[in-house]
Amino acid sequence: MTAEHFERGSVGRMRLHVLPTKRFKTFALSLYVGIPLTESRVTPVALTPFVLRRGTASYPETISFRERLDELYGAGFGFDLYKRGDYQIVQFRIDIINDRFVSSNQSLLREAMAFLGEVLTSPALEDGRFRARYVESEKTTVTKRIEAIINDKMRYAAERCIEEMCKEEPYRLLALGRKEELAGIDADSLYREYQNWLANAVVDLYVSGDTSLQEVQTLAESFFKLPAGEPPRYSQPRMLEARKEPQTIVERLDVGQGKLNMGLRAGISYGDESYPSMLVYNGVLGAFPHSKLFINVREKASLAYYAASRLDGHKGILTIQSGIEIENYERALGIIQEQLAAMQRGEYTADEISRTKAMLSNQLREIQDSAYERIGFDFNNTLSGSERTSDGLREAIESVTPEQIQAAAQQVALDTIYFLRDRKEGN
Amino acid sequence: MSIRSYPELQETLHYAKLDNGLEVFVLPKPGFTKTYATFTTRYGSVDNHFRAAGKEEVRVPDGIAHFLEHKMFEEPEGDIFSVFASQGASANAFTSFDRTVYLFSAAGSVEANLDTLLNFVQNPYFTDESVEKEKGIIIQEINMYRDNPDWRVYFGLIEALYSKHPVHIDIAGTAESVSSITKEMLYECYYTFYHPSNMSLFIVGGVDGESTIERVRANQAAKTFAPAGPIERFFEPEPTEVRQAIKESKLPVSLPKCLFGYKDVPGDEEGENAIRRELAMKLLLDALLGSSSPLYQQMYDDNLISDGFGHEYNTGPGYAFSVIGGDTRDPDELVSRITEALGAAAGQGLSVDVFERTRRKKIGAYLRMLNSPEAIAGEFTRYKLRGGDLFRVVELYESLTLDEVNAHLREHVKPERLAVSIVRRSEP
Repeated sequence: MTAEHFERGSVGRMRLHVLPTKRFKTFALSLYVGIPLTESRVTPVALTPFVLRRGTASYPETISFRERLDELYGAGFGFDLYKRGDYQIVQFRIDIINDRFVSSNQSLLREAMAFLGEVLTSPALEDGRFRARYVESEKTTVTKRIEAIINDKMRYAAERCIEEMCKEEPYRLLALGRKEELAGIDADSLYREYQNWLANAVVDLYVSGDTSLQEVQTLAESFFKLPAGEPPRYSQPRMLEARKEPQTIVERLDVGQGKLNMGLRAGISYGDESYPSMLVYNGVLGAFPHSKLFINVREKASLAYYAASRLDGHKGILTIQSGIEIENYERALGIIQEQLAAMQRGEYTADEISRTKAMLSNQLREIQDSAYERIGFDFNNTLSGSERTSDGLREAIESVTPEQIQAAAQQVALDTIYFLRDRKEGN
Repeated sequence: MSIRSYPELQETLHYAKLDNGLEVFVLPKPGFTKTYATFTTRYGSVDNHFRAAGKEEVRVPDGIAHFLEHKMFEEPEGDIFSVFASQGASANAFTSFDRTVYLFSAAGSVEANLDTLLNFVQNPYFTDESVEKEKGIIIQEINMYRDNPDWRVYFGLIEALYSKHPVHIDIAGTAESVSSITKEMLYECYYTFYHPSNMSLFIVGGVDGESTIERVRANQAAKTFAPAGPIERFFEPEPTEVRQAIKESKLPVSLPKCLFGYKDVPGDEEGENAIRRELAMKLLLDALLGSSSPLYQQMYDDNLISDGFGHEYNTGPGYAFSVIGGDTRDPDELVSRITEALGAAAGQGLSVDVFERTRRKKIGAYLRMLNSPEAIAGEFTRYKLRGGDLFRVVELYESLTLDEVNAHLREHVKPERLAVSIVRRSEP
């Protein structure tokens, strides 16, 4: 089978990335809208997609908007909001059946493009601004989302650790924005923020499926009413150094299990040449069930059900997370720190390295089988300005030497220890 | 060996039942890089009272199926994760009410990984020491779930609905029940439920149908298994009414969580009728409570529900129930608004328009699911265990009638079979 690859184009300020493929039963559309994460804009930008999903010019009532998706054979529509590097990114998705599987007399790709284009650029309006009812209702929804983070203690601990670690930079902010700012937003101010957002954001539309760049280009020209101009590009994240002495934050809540999280600065990001070494480092340390953290914290010491590390390549941050018996805090922390130190001393076997490389290579190959994962991988390049292919990254991982892993380990610096524990005093 | 084509779905399924009773299914996905395999035993948390052919009747501690799943990963030469890792495969397993599934996903070395999967699951190795060690890990897993309000409210509902059926027992058990587990008990459960004739293997991805089945056949032919008789499973009769109408607990949550549902009278739990009922119920719940329903939109506008509001229909051996709800400012109002609306809908019946639109949505969602090897493997096995065929779902949806769906609705919405589970706010 011939290698499939993305074809590139643009429509005004929006870049197009089209993957012609017959492998999937659907057309997968993914629209990324990114803007630098800032204190002043984070909340209105977060609120915007919530309002956009309430209605468009053609389907202004939410119920007709949702019925339209049902009619399109239950097209999967949704959006995500997250931080990548120093950007706040809104991602809209539509997954829609290829017409050949249903007796449809309409082009479902065309309908999906029309729908998505309207969601972004032709929202439901009244008196030249957003509908006030939608804005008020979605302010409540965003408030509830922010407040609900505490419900999931794993997520809460992870967010709190990042907040404490990144106190001095916008990355401390939640992608959902700040609750206290929502009250000051109204339909008028949000509509202005929205126009400003569209005029300044980096916009990338990805389409995968049985189609061509030309077809997508024509559809995008008809259905996306974006401001004119040249497509902008993402710039690279600012890398901070770890604080001189790691800080320890202990927080008390009504919980049974303690959550031990750690934040470390990795010093390099996705676009750096030494990124593959950092991936292998993270794999040997804690990304897999054969990794040091799982083996030593869970299998050998029976202290936890989960103990893992995660590399955020776009921000150059490494995090460690584990759920433990509260009284075992010192022991678990000691074991984790010992694994970090062992990595720095270069204490890992050829087996640990080859298993890690095999797992990373497998992950990269498996990306090929999912339209959204392929899009996500390509978007990493778009975001970081690199031109990595998955094969190229696999080769780079394969050639990482033990010395390079040790060099990566010595670059990683612990910044923050965060422990979420029970309310009982005394120990 | 047999081959079955589903031209309208562009899928072909290869099947063989081996001499030892193991059923093998292969779904080649031409052009796919990865292969995903699940090795499933019909043995889950509900199988806690049974008799193997020619043996004594036994009752086992809560959580033992899940404990056994954990311990299978240990082999005399060490941890099996490392073997999979060196072959570039990520492996995992899970235990549900009615099955235990071992799986791997790999972009290469498929044959070696298949052998590893079959061999480790067919080679139990437990020691007193390793069983003791596992208890600490599993107790942390239980503690993790105890702090999770979504899990607590979900399980609270099942506990409120069922008084006798073991579906109400936590899959992982309790710290006490887990502590009582011994290696002898593990072996007994293993030899009862892990015979090839109680298991199936499903492989989907970039593989060839015929040669993959031959590889499995060769692997199995090299092993001997004592002949297995039928396994008797004992379930006490479950009353039709719920165990308790309402069950509440407190946790540090931002808003109360409320789930409620109706327990169906056990009818057909296996075969095509059971699958039809499940599809009809899912369609109904979506039509009445999905995000394009008027009720959903009104409750959203009244700030009674949030994005997480949802519904499901869950069935298995001896149980079937709906689950409705999410985060809400007022659980009582949520329950009364929805139960009243469901009662009214049962009286009037679903309209043709809504029925057709929801059917189309369901068929589309099903076809989209077929892009995911993981989802296919999971759903195929679930249908298979109940005597159904995942690849006939479109056909079944198309054959559902409005009358049939409305009859299910009337049967389902019975006040005496309603239970409510609430997690209220504790002081954070």
